[in-house]
Amino acid sequence: MLRFSLRQNNKDSNLSRLFPALIFFLAFFCGFRPGFSADTKYGGELILAATSDPRSFNPILAKETSTTSITQIIFEGLTRTNGLTLAVEPALALSWSVDKSGLVWDFKLRRDVVWFDGERFSADDVIFTFNKLIYNDDIPNSARDIFSIEGQPVKVQKIDEFHVRFILPKKFAPFLRAMSTEILPKHILESSVENGKFNFTWGADSKPSEIIGTGPFMLSQYIPGERIVLRRNPDYYRRDKNGNNLPYMEKIIFIILGNQDTALLKFLDGEIDYYSLRGTDYPLLKPKEKERDFTIYNTGPAFGSNFIVFNQNSGLNPRSNKPYINANKLGWFKDVNFRKAIAHSIDKEMIIQILMNGFGIAQDSAMSPSAGFFYNPDVEAYDYDLDKARDILDESGYKDIDGDGLLEDENGKDIEFSLYTSAQDNQRIQMAAIISNDLSRIGIKVNFLPLEFNNLVQRLTSTFDWDAMIIGLTGGIEPHFGRNVWASSGRLHMWNPEQLSPQTSWERRIDEIFDLAVQELDEKNRKSLYDEWQVIVSKELPLIYTVLSDSMFAVRNKFGNLKLSSFGGAFHNLEEIYIKN
Amino acid sequence: MRKSRSQFRLALSHLKRSRASMISLFILLVLYAAAIFTDFIVPYAYDDEERLFSYAPPSRVHFFDDAGKLRPPFIYAKTIELDEYRRRVYREDKEKIYPLKFFAKREKYKFLFLFGFDRCLLGVDKPARIYLWGADSRGRDIFSRLIYGSRISLTIGLIGVSISFLIGLIIGGISGFYGGGLDNFLMRLTEMVMMIPTFYLMLSLRAAFPPGLSSAHVYLMVVFILSFVGWPGLARVIRGMSLSLREREYVLAAKTLGVSDIKIILRHILPHCSSYAIINAALAIPAYILGETALSLLGLGIQDPMPSWGNMLSEAMNIVQIRFYPWVLLPGLFIFAVVMAFNLLADGLRDALDPLFKK
Repeated sequence: MLRFSLRQNNKDSNLSRLFPALIFFLAFFCGFRPGFSADTKYGGELILAATSDPRSFNPILAKETSTTSITQIIFEGLTRTNGLTLAVEPALALSWSVDKSGLVWDFKLRRDVVWFDGERFSADDVIFTFNKLIYNDDIPNSARDIFSIEGQPVKVQKIDEFHVRFILPKKFAPFLRAMSTEILPKHILESSVENGKFNFTWGADSKPSEIIGTGPFMLSQYIPGERIVLRRNPDYYRRDKNGNNLPYMEKIIFIILGNQDTALLKFLDGEIDYYSLRGTDYPLLKPKEKERDFTIYNTGPAFGSNFIVFNQNSGLNPRSNKPYINANKLGWFKDVNFRKAIAHSIDKEMIIQILMNGFGIAQDSAMSPSAGFFYNPDVEAYDYDLDKARDILDESGYKDIDGDGLLEDENGKDIEFSLYTSAQDNQRIQMAAIISNDLSRIGIKVNFLPLEFNNLVQRLTSTFDWDAMIIGLTGGIEPHFGRNVWASSGRLHMWNPEQLSPQTSWERRIDEIFDLAVQELDEKNRKSLYDEWQVIVSKELPLIYTVLSDSMFAVRNKFGNLKLSSFGGAFHNLEEIYIKN
Repeated sequence: MRKSRSQFRLALSHLKRSRASMISLFILLVLYAAAIFTDFIVPYAYDDEERLFSYAPPSRVHFFDDAGKLRPPFIYAKTIELDEYRRRVYREDKEKIYPLKFFAKREKYKFLFLFGFDRCLLGVDKPARIYLWGADSRGRDIFSRLIYGSRISLTIGLIGVSISFLIGLIIGGISGFYGGGLDNFLMRLTEMVMMIPTFYLMLSLRAAFPPGLSSAHVYLMVVFILSFVGWPGLARVIRGMSLSLREREYVLAAKTLGVSDIKIILRHILPHCSSYAIINAALAIPAYILGETALSLLGLGIQDPMPSWGNMLSEAMNIVQIRFYPWVLLPGLFIFAVVMAFNLLADGLRDALDPLFKK
């Protein structure tokens, strides 16, 4: 607490005007007095493992999780998603309203937010972030895709210092969730945008004190390859129930460890406070819970997905003028019965047993069960039944005529394809090996080949020379954000990407569903649309889902106010977490 | 002819005196014999999996039954369950005994690639499975896979070394014999290959190959990659040796008699490099075995379900596995033994063959 007030004093010397000083005194009393009653909650540090170095500290340019896991603590948006209830709640905005047309959204901003350097947060920062950064064609960012509704930008207007109006070109149901996009300080970044240097601003080599946000913790130290230290923001605006300043903890330290096994060892040694465990780690960790003073939490199925996808791209390679895949293979892959037979040949039960020690579920739907509201459990499920798979193939004309143990199609071609997966992901390699083995039992020859991850993604998104893959997608709670996968024109519509017009009737229907649902502001109607989408996917099987592991976390017992969830993880409510004495 | 045999005898008697070399030679001969008779030795095919017996521990061979009566060696079938910590607990089901059978039936195979056969050295009746050295994650017998894997891991060194030595000897011999511009060109070429870090060269060569190859193709490709990486060092030394050899009287004599260049290189120069080449080959083989291991460990070499010691070892990359199922490390032990054996053997060979060491 003492340090807290001292810092405020130092800052005061920079401000010559009386008014801010008055504010400071108010803040001082509000924050300090009740602080005595809960004094024990303050202080301490949380030590986490990071998988790799952040590439920058610029949230607009950030693409990889090594960057966003840091920037999401330093920066905030107007709204945020509650990690536990999954509801949208205010962050930098105080409240909002929408007019009858559903197009005009007014946001009232908090008046008590200051940037790390003491400058007040205001509507100008919001306008700047949208108009000068997100809609700036010179700045590559993923937020622009979300906020380009049918190609048109959202109009962002300042009403007064603490009111902002957003005028949408069309109705956009997930607008509030999208508003969690981080707001950046105008007074710091304006000049770099004007100089055209924004894309090089706040890189990983910046001074920690230059990174200015509004979040509960601020960057204090970054030693590449070693650690990132975040320090408590004493001016953070959130208060606990008793009116105490948040956050409670003094520091968050990320130790950069390349390897998950290293993290596991460091966790057992007590050097880090948290470990996100795989099912196979459980037998090692569980018996040590008491002795090493930690608890393992299982919050149910994780987000994301693992699936097999077949290449159904009938296009020609523009360079060689040859089809991406040969006509025979294309014929099998486009045959829904072929895909159904594959779905019946996945031994999900044993995959979960062997690779996850039983901590997982068979995934049938395109949404994770943890997604809550939009998850539809009533979809077609495919059990492991090799006889059924054989029957389906037999009925569809895949028979072993020449008696070599391999099935042939109607043209007499052996059914044989290559299956790729990421060479770095041991779990997927094992999964692919198990599936290949079962497919060989029903007479399908699989040439299984692990590839380097970037090579894999390149084949999937630009060269299109692949037969089948086992790969995964990250998942979320808002189906619309998966539009780049499901819309037939989407870049990540892996099985047949960037179609000019939908090539099958079910793809057309999915396009319709996504276009309708995004304009549907009634949640119930939206849900029934997305339910239909999940049923179509399970019947047509463009992606053949496999298994989903549970999210499990091992956390040291010293933390209070933990509210773990699959969506938010162990520390989504960082500012409320304190260290028990 | 006579002289060369006596030279061979001399070297052999010299080699016999080194105990470490003889032990190494014995180990290698046993392993190579196992590699040749693999199908007969192992109880299961390399891809014969029983997923329920994931990570089954090595089977205990009993001699006394529950009543304490002495019997011919037998095993019990096992049942698996997960305990409260989700550890795999295997219990022996004492209801029925499964005697070990010599010349037991197994899946049909082609013995020595010649004729069909369906017996193996040692096995048990189904449904029990004998895991002499435990099972891997999918319940495949590690013993069987190790022996199958030896076919790849042991031959890859021999074939790889022969290819790269062929290249190295020819390029080194030509380069040293002719000298001048050709020498300059060939040596700069070798240096260029040497300059690239070996491991990255291996990775980039691997990436250049088309996907969707069969396992036999992958095997040949790995051999090719390893030989391509391996030849320059030898070429440099052979070049140096032939550079000095070409000034010798017998080479000059051959030249004056009008013997063709190729014949001189093959008959008069390279044989003089042979003792060096043999020693070097024995020393180089471990590098090929380790190279294959590294590629396969990264999932870029021999592909599952075909076993090689490298890809089997990739299952032991995780501390949980090592902690609970230490038998997955066995391939590592074999790699260690073979690498060690080749090195010791090469040491003995150097003493035996190098004229400078002879008294």
